[in-house]
Amino acid sequence: MSDIKSNNYNSFDTLDGSHPFKDVVEDGHVDYEARSRKGAKIRYFNFDLAKEMGLLPKSHPNGLNNKLSEKILKTFSLMIINEYDIEHNRDFSKDKIKDAKFMATRYLQLQHDDKKGLSSGDGRSIWNGQFKNGKETWDITSCGTGGTRLSPATTKFNKFFENGDPSISYGCGFAEIDEGIAQALFSEVFYKNKIKTERTLLVLEFEKGYAINVRAHPSLLRPSHFFIHLKQGNYDNLKNLVDYYIDSQKHTKQWADCPGDKSKYDFFLKQMAINFGNMASVFENEYIFCWLDWDGDNILMDGSIIDYGSIRQFGMFHSEYRYDDVDRFSTSILEQRDKAKYIIQSFAQLVDYIKTKDKKNLKDFKNHKSLDLFDKEFEDEKNRNILKKIGLDDKEASTLIDQKIKLVKDFRKIYNYFERAKSSKGLIKVSDGISWDAIFCMRDIMREIPKIIIAKKEKISDRDFIDILKSHYATEEDIQISSYRSKMIKGFQDKYWDIITEVSLINKHSFDKQILKLSFRASKVNKFARVTGDSISLIVEQILKKKNSICADDLYEMIDDFSSVQSIYDDSRDADKLKHRDLLMKFFRIVKEHREGL
Amino acid sequence: MKLVLYSGGTDEENIVLDKKLIELSGKKNPQITFVPSSSYFIESEFMEFASQFQKYRVNNLINFPVDVEYSEILKNEVLKSDIIYLGGGNTFYFLKHLRKSGFLRELKDFVKNGGILAGLSAGAIMMTNNITTASFPEFDRDDNDENIKNLKALNLVSFDFFPHYKNSLRYDNELIEHANKTQKKVYSCPDGSGIIIDEHKIEFIGKTFVFYKGEKFSLR
Repeated sequence: MSDIKSNNYNSFDTLDGSHPFKDVVEDGHVDYEARSRKGAKIRYFNFDLAKEMGLLPKSHPNGLNNKLSEKILKTFSLMIINEYDIEHNRDFSKDKIKDAKFMATRYLQLQHDDKKGLSSGDGRSIWNGQFKNGKETWDITSCGTGGTRLSPATTKFNKFFENGDPSISYGCGFAEIDEGIAQALFSEVFYKNKIKTERTLLVLEFEKGYAINVRAHPSLLRPSHFFIHLKQGNYDNLKNLVDYYIDSQKHTKQWADCPGDKSKYDFFLKQMAINFGNMASVFENEYIFCWLDWDGDNILMDGSIIDYGSIRQFGMFHSEYRYDDVDRFSTSILEQRDKAKYIIQSFAQLVDYIKTKDKKNLKDFKNHKSLDLFDKEFEDEKNRNILKKIGLDDKEASTLIDQKIKLVKDFRKIYNYFERAKSSKGLIKVSDGISWDAIFCMRDIMREIPKIIIAKKEKISDRDFIDILKSHYATEEDIQISSYRSKMIKGFQDKYWDIITEVSLINKHSFDKQILKLSFRASKVNKFARVTGDSISLIVEQILKKKNSICADDLYEMIDDFSSVQSIYDDSRDADKLKHRDLLMKFFRIVKEHREGL
Repeated sequence: MKLVLYSGGTDEENIVLDKKLIELSGKKNPQITFVPSSSYFIESEFMEFASQFQKYRVNNLINFPVDVEYSEILKNEVLKSDIIYLGGGNTFYFLKHLRKSGFLRELKDFVKNGGILAGLSAGAIMMTNNITTASFPEFDRDDNDENIKNLKALNLVSFDFFPHYKNSLRYDNELIEHANKTQKKVYSCPDGSGIIIDEHKIEFIGKTFVFYKGEKFSLR
């Protein structure tokens, strides 16, 4: 810590490729030598995250200086010396080659044909190391440091590729600047909305739009890091890795209650079921599209999002959207729950295997009690979330759930009816896949209805209700009021009023005072303009168009301000005090214009 | 016609104006609609606004941004409010969206039909003939990012209004020049002061300066 105080930035030196994972799992990674890569520009550095991690002292100004820039470039501007380089006897100047070796980890990936993870894992990433700040540890990886033998392209074509080989795109091992900035922007918005996610520590830019995108999280292990050993029936590796993960969670006090004996494996499974039940529910509630599948890739062990390549947040419940990945379609939002549950079923199989040394069929676990726990957590989060959308705080929500669970569930059912209503146009092609438009914007009704109650003090007509709710996707045919829909509108309003009445009784407030209080929160939680995947892409385009006039410090400030304005928990920003007001206003406009989309 | 023009400042600085505004409605708990200049920061702005009036036990508070789509039913309720309060912010952006949404015209009718219109800074400028006073002095002006050409506003008063006035030559020179050009009085208010118009009566709260025919006068 004294190094940090004297601002020598020696904390960065601990990122020397070492990581306990290397010793935990035999043949769980491939080590690569790396050399310094020239021509890097620091495009983004996340001061807030660096301070939280302890890489920088809290008192450090949010600006780069020469010493810090040099240290960042020295630590992160790397290119691996891969198998292609070795095959072709490439000669690199010794002083450019790092002493350390950096690992690319092996994990299961469905895009590899063998389905066992024999050649899959980090295809274009290396692990810079694990940073320890006393009480916490942080895993740090860099994406875009060159193609490893674990990339899908190497397996598919049975040959090694030169780093940056333009003929093979993804397999070339490079990352691009737009992905890096999109990931930084999106992950900060999610982080500030308390949605679990990896975060971007920095983005380095090279010529031709290439980049190294550095991510950080307390643990960057994915379920697929575990499932690879389960698939291969490698008991020792699997047990070692689970023991390591449990110990690291205990060490960082995340799992302070975890027992020390063999029952720790049951505790591990229980935590996984809770993490994934909660995560699947949050994704569905917040319309987050994350391509989950049986391989346990694209997600971290605690349910945090990793890899924003296919991540989207929809403006409405476009539950039929599927990403077209050339040879297959992704899962849809509604299928995410089953996929997440399947991952827990695999963990149940995994834990049983560790405990018994007998690997049973996955089907034997389809009724495992951990799946009930998953469902319970999923449902509990759904109940909490609907009350949050009404505007209740956590305490009010848990009291209401305890006392009036039927009322909450009844309201949810009616809410779902409107949320899931689809356009009569049916399935349509969109730029990167297929979709079937949702027609009602639930944020609009949840935000506006308390205001109308304050003003009108009575329920509204069916037509007025639909007028508030309808999105620009809805056709005349879609918004017809059938007798069933009319019944649902009545039900929605009746239950909504009942909930407000119950909460006002709990709080001993008058109905008027209660509805005003709820209207504040409802207005925040159900923002008119919330980011979507499309809006993030368009904002990144704007940033890249102006990149010559936006330095790393500016971009940090912009992303920090933008994500704070997008947060439902942050009121700190003032329109008149935004440093990059003009550009930010452009971003907000983009968000507003694309608020209902994909 | 009942109008209250606020310059700006904290809610403590505006206590007198707030009390007078509520008094003007003749009700203890009037319905007040807050129309922010933009929806981007509406949540925190409305919270601040609400806490300002909840101090006087006013609970009938609605927020109503006009730069986003709104429902007819809410608009109709808003137009039944006792008071509509136009917030501060970028005057050009605000005017653009008040006009585009058609709410500018409806505000005129609202005032004509006896509704009380209040406005702070940009919101107060909106009550004058046009919003030119938002475009100077260069060191303290709103940017016309929207590049709007039609600066005509509600035209409810015969004077111009200049909020956040600071008693200094830098401001005075520009205000004298503006008043000479328009041949109209410019009422310039420091933060915490403002103007109340109750039918034919005009009352100045706090210090107000008038620029007219090349001269500067202090009203208090």
